[in-house]
Amino acid sequence: MIQIQNLNKSFRTEEVETLALNNVNLKVQEGEFVAIMGPSGCGKSTLLNIIGMLDNPTSGSYQFAGHEVGHLKENQRTQLRKGNLGFVFQSFNLIDELTVFENVELPLIYLKMNKNERKQKVMAVLERMKIAHREKHFPQQLSGGQQQRVAISRAVVTNPKLILADEPTGNLDSKNGIEVMNLLTELNQEGTTIVMVTHSDRDSHYAHRIVNLFDGQIATESHNRAMGALM
Amino acid sequence: METLQVYKKKEFMHQSMLNLFQYQNQSELNRFQCQKTLIMFKNHIKIAWRSLKRQPFFAFLNTFGLAIGMAGGLLISLYIYDEMNFDTMFKDADRIYRINADIKFGGTESKSAQVSAPMAAAMESDFSQVELTTRFRNLGGMLLRKSNTEANIKEEGATFVDATFFEMFGLDLLVGDMQTALKEPNTLVLTRTAALKHFGLKKAIGQSLVLNNTDTYTVTGVIEDMPERSFLRNHNVFMAMAGNEDAQKQEWTSHNFFTFIKLIPGADIADFQTPLQSMLGTYIMPYVQTFLPGATEEQLEASGNYLYYGTIALKDIHLYSAKDHELSPNSSIQNVYILSFIGLFLILLASVNFMNLSTAQSLKRAKEVGIRKTLGSDKPALIRQFLTESGLISFISLLFSLGIAVVAIPYFNALSGKSISIPFTEPVFWMALFIGATVLALFSGMYPAFFMSRFAPVKVLKGAGATSTGGGNIRSLLVVFQFAISVFLIVSTLVVFMQLKFIQSKDLGFTKDQVLIVDDVYTLGEKATAFKEQVEQLGQVQSATLSSFLPTPSVRSNTSFFKEGGATAENSINMQIWNVDDNYIPTLNMEILEGRNFDRQFGTDSTAMLINESAVAILGVQAKEALGMRIIRNFENGSSNNFTIIGVIKNFNYESLRENIGAVSMTLGRSTGSLAVKLEAGNFSNSISSIEGIWNKVAPGQPFSYRFMEDSFNTTYEAEQQLGRIFVTFTILSILIACLGLFGLAAFNAQKRTKEIGIRKVLGASIGQITYRLTTDFLKMVGVAIIVSLPVGWYLMNKWLEDFTYRIEISWWVFAFAALIALTIAVLTVSYQSIKAAIVNPVKSLRT
Ligand SMILES: Nc1ncnc2c1ncn2[C@@H]1O[C@H](COP(=O)(O)OP(=O)(O)O)[C@@H](O)[C@H]1O
Ligand SMILES: [Mg+2]
Repeated sequence: MIQIQNLNKSFRTEEVETLALNNVNLKVQEGEFVAIMGPSGCGKSTLLNIIGMLDNPTSGSYQFAGHEVGHLKENQRTQLRKGNLGFVFQSFNLIDELTVFENVELPLIYLKMNKNERKQKVMAVLERMKIAHREKHFPQQLSGGQQQRVAISRAVVTNPKLILADEPTGNLDSKNGIEVMNLLTELNQEGTTIVMVTHSDRDSHYAHRIVNLFDGQIATESHNRAMGALM
Repeated sequence: METLQVYKKKEFMHQSMLNLFQYQNQSELNRFQCQKTLIMFKNHIKIAWRSLKRQPFFAFLNTFGLAIGMAGGLLISLYIYDEMNFDTMFKDADRIYRINADIKFGGTESKSAQVSAPMAAAMESDFSQVELTTRFRNLGGMLLRKSNTEANIKEEGATFVDATFFEMFGLDLLVGDMQTALKEPNTLVLTRTAALKHFGLKKAIGQSLVLNNTDTYTVTGVIEDMPERSFLRNHNVFMAMAGNEDAQKQEWTSHNFFTFIKLIPGADIADFQTPLQSMLGTYIMPYVQTFLPGATEEQLEASGNYLYYGTIALKDIHLYSAKDHELSPNSSIQNVYILSFIGLFLILLASVNFMNLSTAQSLKRAKEVGIRKTLGSDKPALIRQFLTESGLISFISLLFSLGIAVVAIPYFNALSGKSISIPFTEPVFWMALFIGATVLALFSGMYPAFFMSRFAPVKVLKGAGATSTGGGNIRSLLVVFQFAISVFLIVSTLVVFMQLKFIQSKDLGFTKDQVLIVDDVYTLGEKATAFKEQVEQLGQVQSATLSSFLPTPSVRSNTSFFKEGGATAENSINMQIWNVDDNYIPTLNMEILEGRNFDRQFGTDSTAMLINESAVAILGVQAKEALGMRIIRNFENGSSNNFTIIGVIKNFNYESLRENIGAVSMTLGRSTGSLAVKLEAGNFSNSISSIEGIWNKVAPGQPFSYRFMEDSFNTTYEAEQQLGRIFVTFTILSILIACLGLFGLAAFNAQKRTKEIGIRKVLGASIGQITYRLTTDFLKMVGVAIIVSLPVGWYLMNKWLEDFTYRIEISWWVFAFAALIALTIAVLTVSYQSIKAAIVNPVKSLRT
């Protein structure tokens, strides 16, 4: 599904050039659950953003489902992202002024889905995430774990092929963290490909494969047979 | 010096003993607190300055908006001060009044600022509360020359005046003796400027001057120029009333004298009304009976006629007097009100900007407030801090606004027709500025200060995600308010200009285009006709007419006529009586509805008369029936003239379009005030120099003065044009301020919603969708503003138009156009920020 070759990404800010990704090669198969790990500042988020088509690489090739997408214009990337990709962030990134329902509904609005269909889909996913009773609440009225469940609901409401999660448990206690990881695992078992950035060894054990980044380069890759066997 | 030393020593002791004795007594405690406050104040200012520097963009929008508002407010305040202080410089101004007369007689109404010549003497002798009277008989412009020279100089503002002039207004002569100066006939007093022009200050006394090539006067005094801010401004020649024939006559029904009275100290003008009106019975009726035998007050009233006397305080003349002919053009209190409102609007707009931008920034300040509160700062301290900031901004803006005002004042003067200067040397001015800026700072700063000091620390410190700090509704309301005012001003501007345009293009009943008026033709004496004939010969000239009476501002003459059948009140007709020649009607392209124009072929035309439709209406007949009717004019000496109506002229607007068209009659007669020349289209300057060439041949040494009828016509609407220009200027300013506010608010809004925009983009929103979303939020506010302001604009502008008898109807598209302008401006202002926010890569906005 994802094929990255000789990918580089550098940032220029005030005369300083940072090479955030340095000659990265990575393949992700459909249905895989991949964890990206590494010290802070090593380029994990940058890589995830490029995979999520939020940003373009400086050079190198990125093929998504067989299409070269590394050089697409912003509007083309937006079109490709819609419905195909879901995002989960460490800080949830819910819109404070919208209710739980409205937050989850947003991606469907941008897909120009009609109102009834939207309602049906949103309620279904909220029920599945066990947060439907909070549909009229605002994010600030929810706990961190509940907010992240809303965020995951929003990521999956369009039935994306790929979910990108950037430290999804970073702001959660261990009980809520485990719950989120279980949800992601469930989604993965249903066929959704997941690429997740994490700091946590515990979380990384949920993945099939761990990619270790160091200074913008892939240092090691390891397969999680133990976990895989367990499932 | 010494006290300072003592103070310092004490201060030192005070400091060193502080720890030992704490506060010895109350006064030292006070001083300590005072010092503490000062240090705190300095601290506040320091922090305020820093927070301004940290937000240069908002600080700039804030100060710039405020400075523009303040500069506008400042200029308008100076204008209003100037308008409100006319004629206050005269000694005893509080006790001086002018007598007015509202008259209806013979079908014509007039509101006269002048009364009859004998009124003054009668009031002075009959009423004990009248201390002094002074009359003016205004002549306007005239030609002056030294008796031993040929060349004339035109002098504006010549008037006959009683010898009591100096005492009445508390004026001193620079040269000459006040007691005798204007006692004798054929003496005159010049202003400093006029004296310098002709002779020099000291040398003027005793010199002879020839007026209008006829009468010789002796200069008996020189007086300081009349103050700009007085009803006598632009008056330069004061001639002894003793030499004016009309002034000595007992003609109680000719109202040609501006008459001022001074009441004795302590007298109340309200008590004067009854005695004043009683003069109708004592003097006017007996006089009327000499030509309307048996006429009584009751009869007069029953036939719908009246004569009401009134008074107006000298100081009120400039703003409250709008009589038919005034000694100097007046302004009106309505304009002062309109400008006051505009000034207030401007400052309010700027102040609203300030509130909006300050509370908008509260997002950034919320954390600061939370931390300060946790560290023990109480609410009053925070309010003081924020007020210090608004004070600082207010005073910086004040400095800017003074700069703007200095640059803008020449334009403002041109705009308002004033010669205002900024009174930098007046301590009162600085006091007023200081107080104004402080009040403005408190007013604008109060709401943001309370708003921000209210933040609860737990809330704002809870995580970095505190995006919503409230106040959004009030901010929206303020934006609505700003745009409502702007839209209202746009509507007003459009209406004023459309009315002006209407005036310009209205069919006046005569054609004013391509008509050149040569003034002072009477100075040519017998040669006037020769001059006219030679001008007519010019190829560029279509036709020319000699007359003092023009349908643009010029001489007017009103007389009572009678229909055939006896000199009774019912038979009387009051009409303009204009002496014209047979070229008058064709030159000015007037239309004869019935009958014919004067014709030299008819020997009898010396007793022929043309009247306009309004006169026909007073006769109570149809236009056709008026032909052949006889009109009689009685003279004092018992003789009379009979006129036969030979034609009816279509009504033409000879007064401003504010007025109805009154009755006009025209007769053939020699009247050589001016020559109106209809030119062929083309190069006017050639025509003018040809005419001037003829003038110089016919009358060497006489100044040639000319004007275009069009310009002369336009002066009638000077006030409206001024109002129009003022509206445009301040509309632009207010829109500018409102845009600054909107721009800032849009910037703030985009900033506040950075995260939201990022999220939406991640979820698939396009740049277009985001821009649309950010922009429409503001357009909704502007929409509400439009809905609110249109009815107000409609109502108030209709009120303004009521002043005009001939006026436009405000059509719906004026409002549509105003709305469109407001929306377009709002879109342009907001979309920059919206697009800027929409194109940001969400990765950046969401980076944690
Ligand atoms: N938008 C940006 N502008 C400049 N530098 C950036 C930007 N995004 C990331 N970087 C830099 O790139 C490097 C990798 O960042 P990131 O991918 O966020 O690391 P992490 O592994 O902690 O997620 C860091 O040195 C970071 O400072
Ligand atoms: Mg990261």
